[in-house]
Amino acid sequence: MPLDIDRFSHVESPFQRWDPRVKIFSLGLFVFGVAVLKTLPAALLAFFLAVYFIRLSGLPFDFIYNGMKWIVFFLLPFFIILPLSYPGEAAFHILGIGFVWDGFRLATLIIIKATSIVLTSFAIFGSARFDVSMIALQHLKIPKILVQMLLFTYRYTFVFIEEMRRMQIAMKVRGFVMKSDVNTLKVMGNFVGTLLVRSFERSERVYKAMLSKGYQGELHSMVRFQSDKSDFIKSGLVLVAAVLLLTLDFSGAFTPAVKGWF
Amino acid sequence: MHISDGILSAPVLAAGFVGTVAMAAYTMRKMDMDDIPKISVITSVFFVASLIHVPVGPSSAHLILNGLVGIVLGMRAFPAIMLGIVLQTILFGHGGVTVIGVNSVMLGGGGLMAYFVWQLRHKFNVKKREVVFGALAGATGILASGVILAIALVTTGEEFMVSAGYILAAHFPIAIVEAIVVGACAGFLLKVKPDTLAGHVAVFNPPPKETIEPKEK
Repeated sequence: MPLDIDRFSHVESPFQRWDPRVKIFSLGLFVFGVAVLKTLPAALLAFFLAVYFIRLSGLPFDFIYNGMKWIVFFLLPFFIILPLSYPGEAAFHILGIGFVWDGFRLATLIIIKATSIVLTSFAIFGSARFDVSMIALQHLKIPKILVQMLLFTYRYTFVFIEEMRRMQIAMKVRGFVMKSDVNTLKVMGNFVGTLLVRSFERSERVYKAMLSKGYQGELHSMVRFQSDKSDFIKSGLVLVAAVLLLTLDFSGAFTPAVKGWF
Repeated sequence: MHISDGILSAPVLAAGFVGTVAMAAYTMRKMDMDDIPKISVITSVFFVASLIHVPVGPSSAHLILNGLVGIVLGMRAFPAIMLGIVLQTILFGHGGVTVIGVNSVMLGGGGLMAYFVWQLRHKFNVKKREVVFGALAGATGILASGVILAIALVTTGEEFMVSAGYILAAHFPIAIVEAIVVGACAGFLLKVKPDTLAGHVAVFNPPPKETIEPKEK
């Protein structure tokens, strides 16, 4: 599974032109707004908005699909667990377990909200280079130390995946086959240990090289941000949408998902 | 092992963020510049290792290894796990932006608990105590996370009571797998590079005396 979220950040779009600082801030607030929605119509509206964001961001369908399929797959069990475990009057019985519509509606709400949030985060982070997004976070008062560690971790992740692939090939060549037994797990423990030791030693070399080039705990970046009127108009629209969604949700025009569909 | 967006209620999400900020502030006190690369490395390894799938019975599970992070980084395990979760959220959308707080408290808290269990090994003098306590720490990491997750679900609403029970039960097989992997890994590290283990005291070659004495102030 390819990890680089920013591999389509060159695609020209209103999202790509958006100043990352303003983009992350406004869409971040939007995401939190979506997370607290309680009614199905509002959540559905948020979902359509998220799909619209993805359309606007111009990210290829394959990219989104590959990112989304596992997330949705992991959410599907809720459709089974919640209706069957929800306290309330059962509509009908499956293998002796009562199926409760309230639980089914709650599961629907959860899945709609989760997919909208993930789609929005794809639109946020897929439309700018990773380092640019991170430096934008730093401008949004996320501690410098955390931003630096995120950047290092991101970089190292690709290096270590490469390292891990090499080690896996070496194991295969020596005839190692994964089985469901204790021995396999012990071997995997040693595998992780080897990966750890190798990574440590490599990072020590990198750190010494950084020190000798004058690293003093500061990261200097060539990225300069500029925001103009159109950036603020876009963010304003997103914030208005978020406020409207929340008003719609709390206005009492619709009943919460646990009580009814509308 | 993540909780996804859209399940937990707003107060629980907020509590997660408050807890994360408090725990991060506490565990990141007195952090040096040269801690930055070290923590980043462990975070990446933790992240990469979570891509490894091991067969468990008929299906497979991916390693979580928050216990291992605990025994390698000690208290610094919390920021490392938090970063891993943030990165996972950004890269895969696993979990989500709103649950970064809850997930950090869940897995990072597990990592810290694992570290406390790991430190108990100094009080016992059993054969291969690093392997034994590594295994215990690995299991603790998972079980503590499972308990925190169950608490988050139950405080969200009564309707999650049954789900929380199932989820907690599902953590036991994972805990056994992790115990074996982390135990083996602790034994390996002890043999190969013992100073990577948190709170490791070299038994056979104690450091020169000057370095032990406290500095005058």
